[in-house]
Amino acid sequence: MGEQVVVVEGLTKRYGPVEGVRDLDFEVRPGEVLGFLGPNGAGKSTTIRCLLGLLRPSAGRIRAFGMDVTDHGVDIRRRIAYVPGELRLPERMTGHELVRAVGAMRGGFDASRRDELADRLRAELRRPLRDLSTGNRRKIALLLAFAAHADLLVLDEPTSGLDPLMQHEFLGLVREAVAGGATVLLSSHVLSEIQRASDRVIVLGSGRIVATGTVDELRSRARQRIEIWFEQQPPVQALAAVPGLEDCAVDGNRFSATLAGPIQPLLQMLAGQQVASMLVEEPDLEEAFLGLYGEAA
Amino acid sequence: MERSWVLFATPLRGLRRSILWWCIGIAALIAVTVAVWPAFRGSSGISEAIDQLPAGVIQALGLQDFGTPAGFLRGNLYELFVPLLLACATVAFVNGQTAGEEANGRLELFLAQPVSRAALFLGRALAAAVALALTVATVLVVQVAANRAFGLTIEMSRLLTTIALCGLLAALHGALAYAVAGARARPPLVLAVGIGVAVLGYVIAALFPLSDVLEPWQSVSPWEWAFGGDPLVNGAEAWRYLALLLPTIGLVLLGTILVTRRDVAAAA
Repeated sequence: MGEQVVVVEGLTKRYGPVEGVRDLDFEVRPGEVLGFLGPNGAGKSTTIRCLLGLLRPSAGRIRAFGMDVTDHGVDIRRRIAYVPGELRLPERMTGHELVRAVGAMRGGFDASRRDELADRLRAELRRPLRDLSTGNRRKIALLLAFAAHADLLVLDEPTSGLDPLMQHEFLGLVREAVAGGATVLLSSHVLSEIQRASDRVIVLGSGRIVATGTVDELRSRARQRIEIWFEQQPPVQALAAVPGLEDCAVDGNRFSATLAGPIQPLLQMLAGQQVASMLVEEPDLEEAFLGLYGEAA
Repeated sequence: MERSWVLFATPLRGLRRSILWWCIGIAALIAVTVAVWPAFRGSSGISEAIDQLPAGVIQALGLQDFGTPAGFLRGNLYELFVPLLLACATVAFVNGQTAGEEANGRLELFLAQPVSRAALFLGRALAAAVALALTVATVLVVQVAANRAFGLTIEMSRLLTTIALCGLLAALHGALAYAVAGARARPPLVLAVGIGVAVLGYVIAALFPLSDVLEPWQSVSPWEWAFGGDPLVNGAEAWRYLALLLPTIGLVLLGTILVTRRDVAAAA
């Protein structure tokens, strides 16, 4: 394993009295897809904009490819391709013109790669950007990012507005880029997107890292919503003794609760009961975060 | 080379429509004004009416020698309207391509490329300067054509001098707007400072001479530096060009330094 691609040390960014992020420490390892997960306002974009030199850290520092972001912004950005989360493109330019302009800023795109990407993403390059839907603008931003042959792809909410087919194509492009030696920082508030693409996840909440780990590790720690319909009155006392069950409520024969931790003890307890039906919801991201916040607090 | 060119050509392209409308507006004003000249040339009535006004008011409004070609152009166009419109146009060009684009989040994608923030903003300053140059060239061409068409005779070198000073005065206010945009990505603030200072400068140059107390202070106004020597009649000394040009360069440098020392605004 060579040098880390990005090293963030003690990063704090204040906007006046408001703290965007506080005392962040993490690294992005070569060749990985690092998921950056968190609700809106958690500090994902703030961190990314500090990495790109768009924001000046209030404290701490960021090094990318062994160089300090504050002193070597241009050299670092030469090796980074970025898809902004809040995507605003010059309205009067066409996709072609924007691709040509950004290509010129990067020393030129490979024409065959550009055309291949336009084809795969079904990007509308002839029309003015103001006439394009959010999804079609996103495709052009993705084209720009993947055409750059960058060592690090920084993708902030890259699939918002894309249809499922294009989301699939996007995942393919990410895998190809990683296979070609690139590293990816993928930021999203959608768990499923992170889950499909990422090797490792950092969860941000209120400007702080609340959890890190693989997707599976995080899922096992997330809360699940449980509903059970019994043939008779729910055995409340026995249920209350099951580890991890919280917020228990009974409504007639229906029992509901949230479960933090493994489901096995609950299933064992239910084996001796007359269960009519049971519903276990996928861990909802909001609920997952509530759980993680609880741990961090 | 291509990298530098695109930093200039992209914003200039974004200004095309704006340049066109400003040129049409100012050209129409010049053409319509000069079209009235034959009526003035023929009658001494208006000149006599103006002579009835107090000397200070005549001076303040630039109405002296209203019956002569130079006096007519000064009073109707070059005392206020052409320089003010050029200044407003330049402030608008600068604001649109710097604070305006930044506040809309449209610079983010470009600033994430391997170009320095200073180079990107300087490219935009240069684009605004070229937009101003095109507008000034339009003023000159339309003025000369209208003079020919309506028989207004004025020495070409005096006209060139005056229009060049108008352009430099506009550039100074554009540079001020650029410096403000360098400090803050707030389009209303950029417009208010750029246009506000232009109007204030005119008021100082026009009205301060009416008061004995304020009169010495008229020299703080860039308008006085540009037009204090009555360039349509007398031409202008070299220092007048430098007095406008040097602070313009200084303000562009200041804006460029300021913009590299702050955060880029996020899309609103």
